Amino acid sequence: MATASISLRDVGRTFGATRALAGVDLDLKPGVTGLLGPNGAGKTTLLRLLATALPPTQGQVRVLGRDPQVSAQRTDIRRQLGYQPQEIGFPRGFTAFAFVDYIALLKEWTEPAARHAEVRRVLDLVGLSDLSSKRIRAMSGGQRRRVALAQALLGSPAVLILDEPTTGVDPEQRVVLRTVLAEIARMSVVVLSTHQTEDVAALCERVIVLDRGRVRYDGPVTELTGQAAGRVWLADEPDPAASVSWRTGTGRYRNVGGRVRDGAEHVEPSLEDAYLLLRGGSPEPETAGEVAS
Amino acid sequence: MTGWHLDDDALRRYVERTDSLAEGTSAEQHLLSCEPCRARVNTAASVIELSVIDIATVWDRTRDAIEVPRPSVFERLLRGAGLPAQEARLVAVASAFRGVWLTGVAAVLAFAALAAAVGHARGMWLFLAVAPVVPCLVVASSYDPWMDPALEPELVTPYPMLRLVLLRTVAVLALALPAVLLSGLLIPTEVPFAWLLPAVGFVAVVLAASTWFSPLRSAIAVSSVWLGVIWLLALRSGAPEAVLQARAQAAFLALAAASFSIFLVRRRRLHQLRPWR
Amino acid sequence: MDSRPGDETLLLAVAERDMGAFRTLYERHAGWLAIRLARRCNDRDLVADAIQDTFVAVWQKPQGFRGDGDIAAWLWGIAIRRLVSRMRTRGSVVAVFGDAGAAPAAEDQVLLSVEYGDIGQALARLSPEMRAVIQAVVLDGLSAKEAAQLLHVPVSSVKTRLYRAKAHLRAALAEGSS
Repeated sequence: MATASISLRDVGRTFGATRALAGVDLDLKPGVTGLLGPNGAGKTTLLRLLATALPPTQGQVRVLGRDPQVSAQRTDIRRQLGYQPQEIGFPRGFTAFAFVDYIALLKEWTEPAARHAEVRRVLDLVGLSDLSSKRIRAMSGGQRRRVALAQALLGSPAVLILDEPTTGVDPEQRVVLRTVLAEIARMSVVVLSTHQTEDVAALCERVIVLDRGRVRYDGPVTELTGQAAGRVWLADEPDPAASVSWRTGTGRYRNVGGRVRDGAEHVEPSLEDAYLLLRGGSPEPETAGEVAS
Repeated sequence: MTGWHLDDDALRRYVERTDSLAEGTSAEQHLLSCEPCRARVNTAASVIELSVIDIATVWDRTRDAIEVPRPSVFERLLRGAGLPAQEARLVAVASAFRGVWLTGVAAVLAFAALAAAVGHARGMWLFLAVAPVVPCLVVASSYDPWMDPALEPELVTPYPMLRLVLLRTVAVLALALPAVLLSGLLIPTEVPFAWLLPAVGFVAVVLAASTWFSPLRSAIAVSSVWLGVIWLLALRSGAPEAVLQARAQAAFLALAAASFSIFLVRRRRLHQLRPWR
Repeated sequence: MDSRPGDETLLLAVAERDMGAFRTLYERHAGWLAIRLARRCNDRDLVADAIQDTFVAVWQKPQGFRGDGDIAAWLWGIAIRRLVSRMRTRGSVVAVFGDAGAAPAAEDQVLLSVEYGDIGQALARLSPEMRAVIQAVVLDGLSAKEAAQLLHVPVSSVKTRLYRAKAHLRAALAEGSS
């Protein structure tokens, strides 16, 4: 059995005059990959492309070795795909069970007993067993996101695409999410987007940083974090040349990037620091004594 | 709560039904307000061979009765018409079948009644203005994301969207027939039947237009154009029966055929999300 | 014992559509309710159906419990009526309560006189049919019509037997006191 995979070659997507994605080259294998970037970076567009909801305007997409532009192959992909969109406006009057059951029907679970068992299984995975018969419209935002996640998990898909799955989810639920995803990611390609670095650090092995439609970084989380090594330091004052600096609880300033003074107190970098550095576009680290020319 | 409880023998006799009326009544009265003894009865009931019901099985059935959605009237109608159970469910779940269609039929009948009441020509114009656009509005609402949100997860399932849209459309049109017949009873001329072909034509136009724009917007646009046409016609000539003429009907048929062909040619658009907003 | 939620708390949760609370309520009450129903009807399938109907009714209208009295009593009221509903269409044999015809055992006589005094003894001397009617109407609180459905007899029979039973009891009490 071939390993699940997704590949993109020079993929671009424009909407009228706006270019949402350009020159995207990616190879994804089983495991959890985080998609990080600010709003408007093109994360949702990229995820929609991966989920076969949108065709690219240029380049080539291959999901599980198949081409989503070919109708029969697209159906094949969709049989093994789960997608949690950023927003689902759930129809009125649906309970959690009824909605997931509906999607299960669309996913070709024709036999009622097997389908109901599967619906209960995924609701249980996301911790909504007790609320199966509650109207979705009466649920909190976090609970609704869990319903959205549940329908994506139907059938334990080989490809799982999640758009901002951690929004509105409390810390306990995030732990549950991590466990669920880790289990699925053993055999499946899981891609999730977020604009919070803590989620990537907690959930993902690999990270793709997207900015203005282009990939700025693609690789292991540890490597990205490593890029900030030696460039995060504490001082009594904020450094104006730093990418970012803020006052910590102890009253000192944490500077990321900028002119690192000799003998400065270095701090263990976090993924967030590396991400900020990357986005700040700070070139070589400058040390005091060198004159910037 | 008193300290008095059923002793084990009395409990056993109660569960095995070997006690007397007096004992049993006494036990039952006690049980109504004693939780620990009820728990003991539960335990005894599950252990002995005389257990009356399979608690777990009855739970499964009870839970199913609550959790599993019940088929609606429309779903049962579709099943009766020959659609497999799960497809009937998929089609009937659209909001068009959760009240929107009923509203549409009510509107058609209301205007038919109004037409009959208001008197010939003006009544007919009113009826003709409204009736043909109701089906295309209902069809549009059966798959427009605004009326039927949840489009994105539906879209990326293996089920062919084209089939879903067509099935829902056909179901809506089939249900329009009773409305035609009923309005035919209210209005004695052939006008009620004259609106069916324009209605089909408009549905086809909306289907085709939905490969460019959102279904509901297309339906509203078509409805507005039709209202305009009717208004102009009403101003100029005086006879609504002009719509009945063979030429007009043939034109609607041609419109239906042409639009549907465009729809089929562009049907790929249905499978993918477009920025309908 | 204090950490477990009470039945009223569970009912409130059921009103919020909490399936877990509903299941707990079921596990606490389905057993004894089934046993009690089986003492009125020996058809196990009917009893199972009645239990299912009872809990579905509880789910659909948990606010039906007004907070007066025990929840157990409220549940029993629903259960017996659901059983009667189900029995309306089925011609099944009703278990007549108690040992039909046999004389009460010595311990019972003591119990009867301690618990109910003269009435208990008088009750024990009634025929099974009359006892069944007394149980249905007086003890279970059914209407004459419901009792008729439960016992599969015409309403007129229920009324007649009830009348006769009361007459017997009055006579027995008058006899006992003199």
